Amino acid sequence: MSAILQAHALGKRYGRRQALAECTLEIPPGHVVGLVGPNGAGKSTLLKIACGMLAPSSGRIEVLGEAPAGSPAQLARVGYVAQDTPVYAGLSVADHLKFGAATNPRWDAALARTRIEQLGLDPKQKAGRLSGGQRAQLALTIAVAKRPELLLLDEPVASLDPLARRTFMRHLMESVAENGTSVILSSHLVSDLERVCDYLVVLVSSRVQLAGETEDLLGTHHRIVCTRREASSLPAGLTVVGATHTERQSTFIVRGPAEPPVGDWAAESLDLEDLVLTYMEHAAEPAPAAAATPSSTDHTPENAR
Amino acid sequence: MIWMTWRQFRPQAVAGLVVLVLGTAYFLITGLSIHHTYSADLAACGTADCSATVSAFRGTYAPVFDLTQLLMVVLLALLGTFWGAPLIARELETGTHQLAWNQSVTRTRWLAAKLGGAGLAALAAAGLLSYLLTWWAGPLDPISGSRFSPMTYATHDIVPVGYAVFALTLGCTAGLLIRRTVPAMAVTLAVFVAVQIVMPTLVRPHLLPATTVTYAVNANISGQIRGVEIDGDNESVHLDGLSFPRGAWVLDTTPVENASGQAIRASDYPRCFPGFDSDGTNGTNPGRPGQTEVGGSGIGDIGSCLGGNTLHESMTYQPASHYWPMQWIETGICLAISALMSGFCFWWIRRRT
Repeated sequence: MSAILQAHALGKRYGRRQALAECTLEIPPGHVVGLVGPNGAGKSTLLKIACGMLAPSSGRIEVLGEAPAGSPAQLARVGYVAQDTPVYAGLSVADHLKFGAATNPRWDAALARTRIEQLGLDPKQKAGRLSGGQRAQLALTIAVAKRPELLLLDEPVASLDPLARRTFMRHLMESVAENGTSVILSSHLVSDLERVCDYLVVLVSSRVQLAGETEDLLGTHHRIVCTRREASSLPAGLTVVGATHTERQSTFIVRGPAEPPVGDWAAESLDLEDLVLTYMEHAAEPAPAAAATPSSTDHTPENAR
Repeated sequence: MIWMTWRQFRPQAVAGLVVLVLGTAYFLITGLSIHHTYSADLAACGTADCSATVSAFRGTYAPVFDLTQLLMVVLLALLGTFWGAPLIARELETGTHQLAWNQSVTRTRWLAAKLGGAGLAALAAAGLLSYLLTWWAGPLDPISGSRFSPMTYATHDIVPVGYAVFALTLGCTAGLLIRRTVPAMAVTLAVFVAVQIVMPTLVRPHLLPATTVTYAVNANISGQIRGVEIDGDNESVHLDGLSFPRGAWVLDTTPVENASGQAIRASDYPRCFPGFDSDGTNGTNPGRPGQTEVGGSGIGDIGSCLGGNTLHESMTYQPASHYWPMQWIETGICLAISALMSGFCFWWIRRRT
């Protein structure tokens, strides 16, 4: 199977603001992909381009091997739930299912009905009267019941309380497992994605900083704590992603081979949150080379871990 | 998609239907009574001269007639405001287009269903109301003087259908561009009102080439003249009451001109306009008001007095026979603009707004 999403030098401008720049990505099928990045990093823009809501200003994108939203057939293969999970306030839950059934050739009415029952939603209830969590669940139900090959979810849990988040994610994972759907979901919180994503894309200030299978990423990144030294004195083969220095100690986040690098230091693994935050900090600094120059990145000892 | 369009449009459709039922009832009840009264009055006066009876009848109904025509134009404006503008603007405003455009239906079809559904509804509603109004107003139409009077023309026969479709697509286009319901409604209303002012004043007179007739000012014209107007500023002379074909729409009447086409000055003919003399002072009207109207028994002589100077006055009008061709042309213009706006909407929506 080919990539579910293939982007080459993708960019999007709103007037003078660059929302997405030089985005080159290739996401293999069969993953639950977490798209992480701070607010305004371009996550929504990337997802909107992928579902065809927006046209890119530059570059190319193919989703499931075709141009986004190019035909009814392509629309049927991709499900999208927008941020704030819009639904028709004046229409009932049952009306929404009828709408889905009327506009999707592969609509799974039984699945939709079962999910609505499981969620305890009253089909006669107007969607405008649903809680935020229920609305998100309704929107997800419509997207899942159309049986897409790829599901794009833009900050689906952002407006939900912790319990509703957990329920939403559990339902999402259940339906994904049942149907073998690929999923790309965005969040600015790593904790939302930690338990469900097996592929990670880190997007910071409109650029892709990191992309890969979560396991590989965690396996190849290590934290090295050693006596104070310059990043350049580390052995070749290690890429320094982040560095912090105290008076006597240096801490480096390095990318290298799967085995922890050996040296006069202690090397340890990172968790997902540390990894993502390191890349976010790294990208937030003015010049890409700056992270490797200790003098420019003097952090207070409290921040150094 | 058609089901969904209907489901979303239902509240407005129900409101429209209520208006339609009320309107139909109004036209049928009052219309039957008007037609009945009219034929009863005609029968009562028998073979005698009925003009007094008929003008009394029309005097009674004139306010109702004007109000009904006004209401018809208001309804057309409301159609664009409440049916057209929210059609797309509300989806964009609430973000539900993101839900709609991600089902397995292209947005071209989505727009086609919306525009087509609402457009047909507007066409049918306006067609029915216009048909009823045209029948209802049959005995009353002479009130407005001519079928070309702005309100009468815009509310009778086929032009209202054109304006209904225009109002709807205007609302849709405004909604698509403005993306917010209330501002889109306001803009739709403002543009529609502007069009209702611009069309009868600037466009309609020129839909077909107008006819110009020239009246020689001589003794023969005296019988027609009801009055003489003399402009206080340039002393140009207007003869009122020149006859023109029945039902014509008089667009313009020139002042009295000499053989070389220049407007004459009253003071050049002091014999015929006593009080205006060549030094420019005005004996009878020392204050020189804006306009002097000369009336009464003496005006009949103006023609013979001015005769022999090869003077003339001309009048431009649309003959009554142009009524139907102009109705078709104006309806066609409305539909063509609607088609252009719809085409723009389809193009714009594919540009992925």
